[in-house]
Amino acid sequence: MEDHEGKKILVIQTHGVDTPTRTYSPLYYAVAAAAMEMEVMVWFTMNGTNQLKKGEAEKVSLVPESGVTLKSMLEMAMDNDVQLRVCQQSLTLWDMTPDDLIEGVEILGATSIIDLALEYDHVMYF
Amino acid sequence: MAHEKINECIIFTNLYYAVEDNTWVRVNDDGTVTIGMTDVAQSLAGPILHARAKSPGTQRKKGRPIATVESGKWVGPVKSPVTGEIVEVNETLAKDAQMLNRSPYNEGWVIKMKPANLDEDLAGMVTGDAAVEAYRAKIEKDGVTCTHIEGSEEY
Repeated sequence: MEDHEGKKILVIQTHGVDTPTRTYSPLYYAVAAAAMEMEVMVWFTMNGTNQLKKGEAEKVSLVPESGVTLKSMLEMAMDNDVQLRVCQQSLTLWDMTPDDLIEGVEILGATSIIDLALEYDHVMYF
Repeated sequence: MAHEKINECIIFTNLYYAVEDNTWVRVNDDGTVTIGMTDVAQSLAGPILHARAKSPGTQRKKGRPIATVESGKWVGPVKSPVTGEIVEVNETLAKDAQMLNRSPYNEGWVIKMKPANLDEDLAGMVTGDAAVEAYRAKIEKDGVTCTHIEGSEEY
């Protein structure tokens, strides 16, 4: 199989704590790509934003009986150098301020996502 | 072979360990080294679904991935504990990834490598009693108890 080391993958996550089963795979893929030595960013927008509010992700159990929560998946992503970014405009949808965000997440504006989508080798949209 | 068991985790005293990355190294008579995941690593991952190693011929620096391993609850790299060139990959793992769970130190080895700076790399690892003590501290600190799936090697 071809080695894609060094490629850049952008994962756009629009699902949040209200739909737990749609939150696990995007983060899993992101970590897998990082483990394959790709540069990976997850961009949270729309409903995806709400999982980044302090205290929310730990409430979401993802893999029964294994202790895996949405919080542990977000931590695994950060431990593997996956960059987590949130859409500035979508914070207001959830009445969130920058202080509400968990550690390690950066805020970017809408023009940035356009630049990134054009710059990255591949975009995965969820 | 001599080994210790700590919270059900097997540690062989004849192997070298990169404890933080949970990998082991066996020095072979032909100058190559065999690299694999530890019993602690396979336990933390749980039943492994897929394992994909880098191809023979790949040059790796210490700390960079030699394989990617996926379980139902975890995905991550196996980081090389030595610098060198991959000369052989365990083809069994592509067909039967749970060999990593059942036999992490024998049939479930990951790759063989021709090392570039072996003495220097081994000096940064632990072996023998020092390895046992390092793992005892890690296992107690992290609260790990190893688990073994059906068909695992017994010691």
